[in-house]
Amino acid sequence: MDSNKKYWKGLEELNQTPAFTESSKGEFAEPIPVEDVLNEAGLSTRAPRRDFLKALGFGLGAVTLAACNRTPVHKAVPYVIKPEEITPGIPNYYASSFNGQSVLVRTREGRPISIEANPNAVGLNQGTDAPTVASVLDLYDMSKLQNPQIGGKDVEWSKLDATVIAALDKAAAAGKQIVLVSNTVNSPSTLAAVARFAAKYPTVSHVQVDAVSYSGLVEANKNTFGKAVVPSYNFANAQVVVSVAADFLGTWLSGEEHTQDYIKNRDYKSLKNGKMSRHIQFESGLSMTGSNADVRIAIKPSEEGAVLISLYNEITGQSLSGGTTNAKAQTAIKLVAKELVNAKGSAVVVAGANDVNIQSLVNAINTQLGAYGSIIDLDNYSKQYQGSDSAFQAFLTAAKAGQVGVAFFLNSNPVYDYFKAEDVKAALAKVDFSLSFSDRADETATETKAIAPVPTYLESWGDESSKEGLFTIVQPTINPIFNTRQVEQSLLVWAGDNASIYDFVKQNWETNILAGTGKSWKDVLQQGFVYKGTATGSSYAANVDIATVASAIVNDAKRIAGDVELKLYESTVMRDGRYANNAYLQELPDPVSKVTWDNYAALNPKFAEQLGVGENGKVTVEANGQSIVLPVVFQPGQAMGTVSVALGYGRTKVGKAGNNVGQNAFPLASLVNGTVQLSAKATVSKASGTYELAQTQTHHTIEGRNIIRETTFAKYQKDPNSESGRFSDTHKTYDLWNKYEQPGHKWVMAIDLNACTGCGSCIVACNVENNIPVVGRDEVRRRREMHWLRIDRYYTIEENGNKITKEKEIAGVQDFENVTVVHQPMLCQHCEHAPCETVCPVLATVHSSEGLNHMAYNRCFGTRYCANNCPYKVRRFNWFNYWNDSRFDNYLNNEFTQLVLNPDVTTRSRGVMEKCSMCIQRIQAGKLQAKIENRPLKDGDVKMACQAACSANAIIFGDANDPNSEVSKALRNERVYYVLEEINVQPNIGYMTKVRNTIEA
Amino acid sequence: MRNISSVLGRLAKSISVSLVLLFAVTLTSHAQDVKEGAALFKANCTACHKIDKKLTGPALAGMSERHSEEWLITWIRNSKAMVDAGDPTAVALFDEYNKLLMPAFTQFSDDQIKNIIAYVKDEEAKLAQAAAAPAGGAAGGGASSDANTFMLVGMAALLLLAIGVIVVLNRVTRTLEKVIANNQAAIEAAQARNEEHEGGDKVKFAQKFLKNKKLVGFTALLLVALLAVLGWQGMWNIGVHQGYKPVQPIKFSHQIHAGVNQIECQYCHGGAFKSKNASIPSANVCMNCHNTITAADHYNGETSPEILKLYRAVDFDPDTRTYGDNPRPIEWVRIHNLPDFAYFNHSQHVVVAGVECQTCHGPIETMEEVYQYSPLTMKWCVDCHKETEVNADNKYYDQLIEAHEKLKKGEKMTAAMIGGLECGKCHY
Repeated sequence: MDSNKKYWKGLEELNQTPAFTESSKGEFAEPIPVEDVLNEAGLSTRAPRRDFLKALGFGLGAVTLAACNRTPVHKAVPYVIKPEEITPGIPNYYASSFNGQSVLVRTREGRPISIEANPNAVGLNQGTDAPTVASVLDLYDMSKLQNPQIGGKDVEWSKLDATVIAALDKAAAAGKQIVLVSNTVNSPSTLAAVARFAAKYPTVSHVQVDAVSYSGLVEANKNTFGKAVVPSYNFANAQVVVSVAADFLGTWLSGEEHTQDYIKNRDYKSLKNGKMSRHIQFESGLSMTGSNADVRIAIKPSEEGAVLISLYNEITGQSLSGGTTNAKAQTAIKLVAKELVNAKGSAVVVAGANDVNIQSLVNAINTQLGAYGSIIDLDNYSKQYQGSDSAFQAFLTAAKAGQVGVAFFLNSNPVYDYFKAEDVKAALAKVDFSLSFSDRADETATETKAIAPVPTYLESWGDESSKEGLFTIVQPTINPIFNTRQVEQSLLVWAGDNASIYDFVKQNWETNILAGTGKSWKDVLQQGFVYKGTATGSSYAANVDIATVASAIVNDAKRIAGDVELKLYESTVMRDGRYANNAYLQELPDPVSKVTWDNYAALNPKFAEQLGVGENGKVTVEANGQSIVLPVVFQPGQAMGTVSVALGYGRTKVGKAGNNVGQNAFPLASLVNGTVQLSAKATVSKASGTYELAQTQTHHTIEGRNIIRETTFAKYQKDPNSESGRFSDTHKTYDLWNKYEQPGHKWVMAIDLNACTGCGSCIVACNVENNIPVVGRDEVRRRREMHWLRIDRYYTIEENGNKITKEKEIAGVQDFENVTVVHQPMLCQHCEHAPCETVCPVLATVHSSEGLNHMAYNRCFGTRYCANNCPYKVRRFNWFNYWNDSRFDNYLNNEFTQLVLNPDVTTRSRGVMEKCSMCIQRIQAGKLQAKIENRPLKDGDVKMACQAACSANAIIFGDANDPNSEVSKALRNERVYYVLEEINVQPNIGYMTKVRNTIEA
Repeated sequence: MRNISSVLGRLAKSISVSLVLLFAVTLTSHAQDVKEGAALFKANCTACHKIDKKLTGPALAGMSERHSEEWLITWIRNSKAMVDAGDPTAVALFDEYNKLLMPAFTQFSDDQIKNIIAYVKDEEAKLAQAAAAPAGGAAGGGASSDANTFMLVGMAALLLLAIGVIVVLNRVTRTLEKVIANNQAAIEAAQARNEEHEGGDKVKFAQKFLKNKKLVGFTALLLVALLAVLGWQGMWNIGVHQGYKPVQPIKFSHQIHAGVNQIECQYCHGGAFKSKNASIPSANVCMNCHNTITAADHYNGETSPEILKLYRAVDFDPDTRTYGDNPRPIEWVRIHNLPDFAYFNHSQHVVVAGVECQTCHGPIETMEEVYQYSPLTMKWCVDCHKETEVNADNKYYDQLIEAHEKLKKGEKMTAAMIGGLECGKCHY
């Protein structure tokens, strides 16, 4: 059955550019030069017989010599004293926390190898975001410092301590300030250590500043509620969500927790109950959140305030001046306002701007909608972003005036991520003694006099409190690998306190946190967290002087408004640049543009055409007197006259993998009204040269096949089968193969397209679990990325309510602002009639009695026929020994980093095909556990790595032979369809139609 | 030579000791029952005490001089009570030995304790005499029961025998040479006749053979076939290390531990029951026993040199009985090496399938040195999977067995039938 929509993987496919048509011919980017060898010149050489014999002789001799080495002697070195809890071969799990989320760390023989969500935690408990999963690699990062340093030279800790204490005493004697600059610190232990330190040196002050700041939101809440906090949002209670430029599923506050809650109103379970929330997004660049919206309106950054004013007017019936004049937005706002008012109490508006006035207006709107209490919680507020831009300003001023004696930097890298790096450098030059607690000699640390490197969270004792009342423990899973020392310990030592960090943290918990909870320290170590907050917050009413706020918004918009407007945003993958040396993250494609290893200027294709920029072109983006040159991405959905640039790239001193990847866009930001602003008036001009970005999704063509099924919520309510394409063409199918019984297990998967947001944490989790190598930018350009699981992003382009369904219509498109997006995770479908299996000449890929498509690497000899024959394009070929080849010196080419590898999974060698194994090691381990415990396998005993990382619960895995398993239930859903069902390969992965809750005007 | 002299010295020493022993036993046995004392001592005291050396407790030699008999009896029966009561000697002793309490032996009668004391005195006397005994003595004599001594005697006898044989053979050679010298002419004539006759035959045969092309061809074919077969077999055995018996850093004998002493495999290789790795025991597991077991009775009162290697590994000082902080892990040589692309899980086989360790590892309890018993080839795995019946008692298999019963009534269900031969079960 044909779908009502036409899907495009990208503009290349839509436009059928010559390069695309050429490259879509073969499975592999570079054809094998068979023709060159077999042509006449190749065969009619002068002395083929002699050459042949020479080659043969040399070959024989070489092989004989190579085979002459003796079988290596393997040593087996047992522990001298085996730790009681370790059994070699059995993983141990420790509760810890990362970025405020309670997680479980899996260790093998004492080394951490993966991170998963703590399923019993409060808040985010069914998945992790990509940086969390990838963070295990940071432990094994060779670019970190191995010793403390003074002036770039390794020193002993005692020497460093003496130097620091002398500097502190000097500053204290002179009455100069001692400043600790950090990003948000919510750890009770760290704060206690700072307090202990401040008790010794009374001139200590603690300045918190975040690279991407939420000062505006905090200020607005202070002004309107008298609470200077970032609230926590509970999207599970929101039936209507309006977001104005807030990427709340991705980078805005705690995107992953929002995803978990938001999807609860949109996934298959919710649809089964006939419920689905509605989400309307106003934004300029196509963000991941925007790509998931039911309705998305492209607006310029300067219009954000105007849209909110119009919305306020519509909701309250007032008539503030300064509403939006954008026609599309006006129509949408009318409908949206009605929706919001109807859903009072379960409707919420969020805005991404770091601007006091805009956030105050949003507070007023949310008060009208009754969102405080049920959705926006000011009581159990978030403590993740407490940074204050103005406090940092004050520090810079004081430092430049020579009032600062000592400055410490903790998780703070202002030389890189403050928009005026020269100011920071100038300020640092005036500070008598500066020290960074960075784990590497980064941009700021190299400007300071000393570095006291800290270990990663996997080596530390500590805690976090990402939310009021929620306390999570950080416990070490390995001894510190390098000669590092925790910041708390350093501060204590300098304050003259010699308590061990363990005693300090434990004592702090026992006296300040555990009192009255009835829990002991050991309970916390086992459970990972304590929650003392309430389930929901109480209601609040914003006290806003609307007229003043509105006029301020209108005034401020003038600053940004222009022919071209710039929007800086945090990339879902790279965030603020902190994790730039993590190769897993660098190679994770952006959820929307699918670009890896670079940032770029996203332009609307029509706008790019106006600028005269072609494919692989470059532009100069200028704003606030600063300019950078970036490659261009034609981004459908991007508002005309806007350019979006991701932050977090262009690090210069982060390490092998992350140095000089992309351009640093922070200098384009500006400080307005005391908060750092990420939008600005800009100019974009064509720059010379071309640059090919490493994009993953341009790699194959879908040949116009109908692999996405999409319906609207209204249609779904009438008929749940709508558009699933299952009942329209029933015809007799014929099998070429015998039917085999699968009496034991039959492993299948269900993927809910309505739940998948495209975030990509499953991809990273898969990389970590299955030892999938990172191949680097050049190889991605050659279509050689190794990801077993990818998320395909498809566009449909609409204009004036019409869908663009024919290639030739493309010429008539005015702008590409109206696009809708579907994200489709694509992995080996484990077909029952797998086309790859029949073409393998050596039976290296065969079917199992449990419905899996096995891949025996040691049998494969690399004909690549299987990849050619796979209709889903999910097979990956190892062109190199990526973990042992100096050309891929990103991260894994040393014995230390190789400790991150999962010991239960083979590392594949060059010349071997690989693909999703359905985490067979986990299946086998789960079965074995059941057998050892003498019981049948239960549903949920085995979880895929991707499934465990998915906070949207979009991936459901289980046994189809168990009729009560979650996956069996999910696959009985009316929305289920199988991709390329028509070619009768009988895939074992079912997809559920994408349902869009569009507004039927 | 130095070796031999030291061997002789030791031989003489041990023989004289045993002679003295024999004598001493007859001397003292009348007063107390030394034999019973010996039995009791070995059963109850050896874990912590030696006669001439400090162990967990003090060396016992001279205890009768140090303490009165009554004191010793009370002490042995219940030392804690004595310490608690504040007996100064008892408290001093208690403090000296790290405040480790000697277990109470309330079950002993006075006589039994006296027997033990007598045994200790007796041993003490023997030691003293052994020390005082003059070196050297008569060779030979079967009084020694010491295995080492016996071997030395045997070797000496062998040496003598060998010398004898050499002398005799020399004689014979000389006689024969004389005979040859006497009949030189006759021998040469006979040889010449022989050569002429035989040489002619051989040449003729070779010529005939070479003329027959078919026969040559056939022989060549046979040779090629033979080489091919040998090559084929050789190739199949590349990488198969059946019988691999590397030299280990410590001469650990499974025959003594698993065979003679009947220690459960699980005690040391607990991993085999829980994990994919059977795991070599960590040195602290060895120390559970070797803390006190020094095999000194086989090494002339000294700690076995192999056990000393263990002490070195854990940095244990047997004299002060303390651990240092410089352990050196033991680097065993791995015998069973599966390639990295093959996944094998011990617990699956040992716990779930109930396979005996010996099925794959051979008669491990008789192996002085462990060698690779099985070929560890894939064929070997597969053959077993084809035949091994699945353990039907395990509830995990209930569903499978039910399905199987429906399909093939009465036939046994092997590992192969439930997917035990599929690639992905071992290769991922």
